[in-house]
Amino acid sequence: MRLLLSWLVEHLDGAPSADVLAERLTAAGFNVEVREPSGDDEAWDVDITTNRPDAMNHRGLAREAAAAGCGTLAPPAAAVSEGAAVASALARVTVEDAAGCPRYCARLIRGVTVGPSPAWLAARLEACGIRPINNVVDATNYVLLDVGQPLHAFDLARLAGAEIVVRAARAGEALTTLDGVRRALEPSDLVIADREKAVALAGVMGGAESEIAPATRDVLLESACFDPTRVRRTARRLGLSTEASFRFERGSDAEMARAAADMAAALIARLAGGEVASGVLDSAPGPRRERTIAFALGRLDRFAGCSIPRDLTLRVLETLGMAPSVAGDTVTCTVPSWRVDLELAEDVYEEVLRHFGYDRIPAVLPEVRAIPGARQGSWPLTERARDVLASAGLAEAVTYSFTSVEAEAAAAASPLAVRGAAIELTNPLSARLAVMRRSLLAGVVEAAAGNLRRGAERVALGEVGRAYFARDGRHWEEERLAVVLGGAVGPWDAVRASDFLDLKGLVEGILDGLGTSDAQWRPATCAVLAPGQGAEILAAGEVIGIAGRLAEGVEALFESPSPLWVAEVDLASAGDVGHVSFTPLPRFPAVPSDLTIRHGLDLEYRRLVGAIRAAAPDWLESVAPVVRYRGEGVGPGEVKTTLRLVYRHPDRSLTQDEVNAAHFALMDRLASDLGVTYT
Amino acid sequence: MATDRLGEARARFLADLAEAGSSPERVEQVRVRYAGRRSGLLRDLEDALKALPRDEKPAYGKALNELKRLIEERLAQAQEAAEAASRGAERVDVTLPGRWTALGTLHPVTRVRREIEEIFLRMGYSVADGPEVEDDWHNFEALNIPPDHPARDTQDTFYLAGGLLLRTHTSPVQIRTMETVKPPIRVVMPGRVYRRDSDLRHSPMFHQIEGLVVDEGVTFGHLKATLEAFVHVLFDPSLKVRFRPSYFPFTEPSAEMDVTCIICRGAGCALCSQSGWIEILGAGMVDPRVFRACGIDAERYTGFAFGCGLDRVALLKYGIPDLRLLFSGDERLLRQFRAGGGR
Repeated sequence: MRLLLSWLVEHLDGAPSADVLAERLTAAGFNVEVREPSGDDEAWDVDITTNRPDAMNHRGLAREAAAAGCGTLAPPAAAVSEGAAVASALARVTVEDAAGCPRYCARLIRGVTVGPSPAWLAARLEACGIRPINNVVDATNYVLLDVGQPLHAFDLARLAGAEIVVRAARAGEALTTLDGVRRALEPSDLVIADREKAVALAGVMGGAESEIAPATRDVLLESACFDPTRVRRTARRLGLSTEASFRFERGSDAEMARAAADMAAALIARLAGGEVASGVLDSAPGPRRERTIAFALGRLDRFAGCSIPRDLTLRVLETLGMAPSVAGDTVTCTVPSWRVDLELAEDVYEEVLRHFGYDRIPAVLPEVRAIPGARQGSWPLTERARDVLASAGLAEAVTYSFTSVEAEAAAAASPLAVRGAAIELTNPLSARLAVMRRSLLAGVVEAAAGNLRRGAERVALGEVGRAYFARDGRHWEEERLAVVLGGAVGPWDAVRASDFLDLKGLVEGILDGLGTSDAQWRPATCAVLAPGQGAEILAAGEVIGIAGRLAEGVEALFESPSPLWVAEVDLASAGDVGHVSFTPLPRFPAVPSDLTIRHGLDLEYRRLVGAIRAAAPDWLESVAPVVRYRGEGVGPGEVKTTLRLVYRHPDRSLTQDEVNAAHFALMDRLASDLGVTYT
Repeated sequence: MATDRLGEARARFLADLAEAGSSPERVEQVRVRYAGRRSGLLRDLEDALKALPRDEKPAYGKALNELKRLIEERLAQAQEAAEAASRGAERVDVTLPGRWTALGTLHPVTRVRREIEEIFLRMGYSVADGPEVEDDWHNFEALNIPPDHPARDTQDTFYLAGGLLLRTHTSPVQIRTMETVKPPIRVVMPGRVYRRDSDLRHSPMFHQIEGLVVDEGVTFGHLKATLEAFVHVLFDPSLKVRFRPSYFPFTEPSAEMDVTCIICRGAGCALCSQSGWIEILGAGMVDPRVFRACGIDAERYTGFAFGCGLDRVALLKYGIPDLRLLFSGDERLLRQFRAGGGR
């Protein structure tokens, strides 16, 4: 909020220097964010929290300054002088909706001359960010900034029947507000009406028809108290936030409604002439029920963690208008009408501690009963996945959880996404961020394509995050890991384009790191992957991931300048954060033996190894590929695969003879079962 | 002193041998100059022994023997190296870059998050998580933010079908924790959060870490000490800290914690708007209304909570100028943060 230093100081007797004032207000919770010269004066920007509408004006903030030891609050302004005419004979106020309007006060000022405000007043309003309009309207705004009560001035002659009715809007009713916009009203809106029609949106904005005009002679001045929720709903529905609605939404002071009517009426009479009619049209003139809060001084000390001097506590509460009374250890406070935020003892503790000074409370580390801390929920799994991803050489990315409908659908076209429907945002920021992802690929693919478009030679990104689904009327969140590889791979003197086996190696390493070592890979056809270049990854018979080349259509959608290799893994089914146990080292030597097999391209490696395993003795320890050769001497549709077989018996040394016998028997078996040759 | 001469000879020999490198001819020249049978320097030094007064002889003799051993050893090494070189072994250009694949990197937000988690794990906190798709109760109502509360204005919310929403802060995990765990509670809750806002300093998705302590006898002084310890470990123990009263619906009293601006050290700069302070987190004593919403006895227990933007800490710590860069997946940025959780 914008305030003027001179105006603030007017409410304080014995105010200290501006620097001290700013420092103490900041320490008490009213952060003076900006101080800048404004003529001979200083304009301040003070951050006033939303729970303190009572401090969003000069007098309210001065009260806080006084509690913070910056002088004493000056007495309130003098009373209004009234003429002979009686207000109740000239106009009438009826509140039909008392829940929406707990109090409505009106004053009448007759015979005003509408014109510009004096320079000092116009300057003060402008310095606080309010445009001067005319002396009557400016007087209401001045009182608003002075004591925080929003007011509205009607041209009495424009009010049919000289009558004010506070009621719910009628179905089909409309009102042209001061900003010239014609607004359709709804029965939930609270309006100020005359005998015939709505003339103002209660607590939000006045109507154009009854506004103060150059020709206005008689003024009906409204100073009321409206229900915060009603004001807020109307203001939000219409997209209108005004000085008045901002304050009413946060809660207003029913006592001030009455007092401000007098202040504003006196100021109007002073600025615009005219005579204030005798009496106030007040819908709720009786005394208000007072609320009290009691607390124990000892408990305040235990709450703070130090001893707060009793006289300071009482002085602060007294200055804040809370009339503390002490009985033994118990202090009972009366909640002032302007404090809408005070309800519990803890609310009062805050008042005392703010003014005691947070910085004066000694910082003491708690002595705690030792409970070992641990990562819980999915954190152990996701943290492990991040470490594995980084050890595989990937850069961890973090991308948005939402994307466009089109990108989401393209990225999610895999067996991993059939787990539910996509969740749409009902109020997205833009079409690009409209739906929660069911696959992490949308984000990392977009990022990879961006890197390639910027000229990156190689891209290797990964992300660990959640995918979101709607299923069975509920929402589900799954932890996922995604990888994208593009451009070149290999060391500087052996650079080549990345391919499927680069991706697969990366994913196998990641799965191994996650604790899944027995994953099966099988060809997959899903729309996100290019036909013939994709795989599903299975563990325990379930699909836990996909990997392969991104389909061309998807590549085009993300504007990738070159092919991308992508994979996505469901962490919950791939991750196993269980124990690792030691396998004893072999005690007998290994006998390696290479085997070159010529076979058709249609013989899958997995089947070949399966056949070897089936035909070999169980002391065949491992089979690994050494070379795959196609070209001269190998027919089209054929390939020569060289494998390294390692034989090792767990309990004894093998002789070369028995290895040879087994190896040749194996070769014969493969030749007859699979039709392979060895030339 | 005569032994000084031996020291000079030693230094000169080592320098000459280094200069000779692995050239066999030049190593041979050095050998002749120092260890040659007829005119080598060692010979001269041996001759000098005879001329010394008796009392100086033992010390000189001992030093001379050491020098002799050194010269012989080093010459042998140099000759071997020179021979190996002359056999035609190819010289490696050790200045060529090695063959390797780049190490992976963790995202700056991951690094900062882990660093903060470690600080609290060491103080006996656990790390909890919770759903990002939330209901109104956990995100707002249980946190003392009823419908139509003005505080909802500052947390512009993304809504989903069925009255669900994307959590606007990590605070709902506080509620979920208190609903399921009995005090004493010490927990931090990091994660993604969402607000309907996008500009240089706001991203519709960002990260927070929330902390919660509930026990008997928890005081405002405990809150202060814990958070001071936290920023001192995270940034620097010399940073000054100040607590300003503030307002959050779910804490009472509430505070904001500022630290000395880490750029200008309090002198005033653009980052801190000339104030010398930067706001680092919000905190407060758990509001009894929140305890009541979670079924915790507000008479018996007190507690404190705090929340901090992880992205903001990452930007500050690493000097990254634009929040949105963090979520761009730009490897030029990501690859600057090499693996490991270090500082």
